[in-house]
Amino acid sequence: MADRRDVAAHPVYLADGVADAEEQSERKFIERLAQRDERAFNELVELYEARVFRLLLRMLGRRDEAEDMAQEVFVQIFKAVGTFRGDSKLSTWIYRVSVNLCKNRMKYLARRHSEGEDELEPVAERAALDEAKGVTFGDVAQPDRMVEGYQIERVVQQCIAELDPDFREVLILRDLEDLSYEELSEITGLADGTVKSRLHRARSMLKANVERKMGEKIR
Amino acid sequence: MSDPGTDPGTEPSDAVEGGEAAATTHEPEESLRSMLRGALREEEPPPNVLAGVQKRIRERSKGKFYADGWSTAKHPPLNTYLVTSLLMLAILVISYALLSPLVGSPVPVRNQPVPVQLIPR
Repeated sequence: MADRRDVAAHPVYLADGVADAEEQSERKFIERLAQRDERAFNELVELYEARVFRLLLRMLGRRDEAEDMAQEVFVQIFKAVGTFRGDSKLSTWIYRVSVNLCKNRMKYLARRHSEGEDELEPVAERAALDEAKGVTFGDVAQPDRMVEGYQIERVVQQCIAELDPDFREVLILRDLEDLSYEELSEITGLADGTVKSRLHRARSMLKANVERKMGEKIR
Repeated sequence: MSDPGTDPGTEPSDAVEGGEAAATTHEPEESLRSMLRGALREEEPPPNVLAGVQKRIRERSKGKFYADGWSTAKHPPLNTYLVTSLLMLAILVISYALLSPLVGSPVPVRNQPVPVQLIPR
C-alpha cells in the first residue's frame, strides 16, 4: 500500500482511494439492501426519488402517472435488489428498471387511449420558433411573451409525446438527464453504435416534427 | 418474478437496427437541447414517494416489511427514544421511593450457643 508521502507526491492515488472508498461504500449499501434492511431502503428512496420521478415525468408527460410509476419502480427495486449483481452502477440499474417499467406502462396507456392530448392553438397564433431558446413559460414576465413561451412549450411537449418510446427514451436520457453513451448502452441493452444512431434519429424526428408544427426552421 | 432491471424486454430486434449503427452521430444541437430543457422544465418540486412505497410494500408483503411505525419513519425517532427512556427512569425512581419505606429494617437476631448435653455411655 502506498505510504503518506507517495500519496502526496501522486495525487492520482488520492483519486483512486476516493473512488475505492465510494465503491466499497456502495457495495456495503447494496448488501444492506439485499438483506432487506428497511432503513437502507428508505435511504435509497430518498436518494433517488427526485431523479426517478423527473425521468418518469419526462417520459410519461403526466404528473399523476409519474408519481404512481415512481412508487411502483421502488417497489420493484425492493423486490429485485437481491438479483442486482453490481455489474453496473446502482444508479444505472435504477434508471434501467425505471425505463423498462415506464415503457411497459406507456404501451398499456397507449392501448387504453388514455393519453390526454389537448388541441393546439391555430398555426397563425403561434410564436416564432426563436422564442423557444431560453424563453419559456416560467421565465417570461410579459403576458404576450408568456403566451408565446407557453405555446412553444406545448408544441415541443406534444412532439416529444408523439415520438416512439424507444426514441423518446434515448433522447431524454442523453439530452435531459445528461447520461453518458456507456450508461445509455447499459440502460437500454443496445450496442453503443445503435444508441448513437437512435439518438441521432430521435433528434432529427423531433426537430422535423417541431418545425412542421411551428411552420419554420430551428436555427 | 422477472428482474425488471435485467430484462430489456420491450426492445425491438437489434437486427432491424443493425444498419443504424453505421450512421454518423452528430454532436447534440444546442438549440434543440435548449428547447427540450425549456419545454420539459419542472415547475413544481418532486413529490415525496417514500410513504406510498412503504405502504405498497407493506400491503404486498402482507405485513412482513414495514409492519410498524418505527420502520416507516423517515429518520430514527430519537426524541421518542429519549422520552421513552426518561419516562422509564422516572417510573423506576418513583417505584423505589414508594416501596422502600414499606420494606423496613431487618429484625435483630440473637444467636446463643445451644447447651451441649453429653450422653453418658
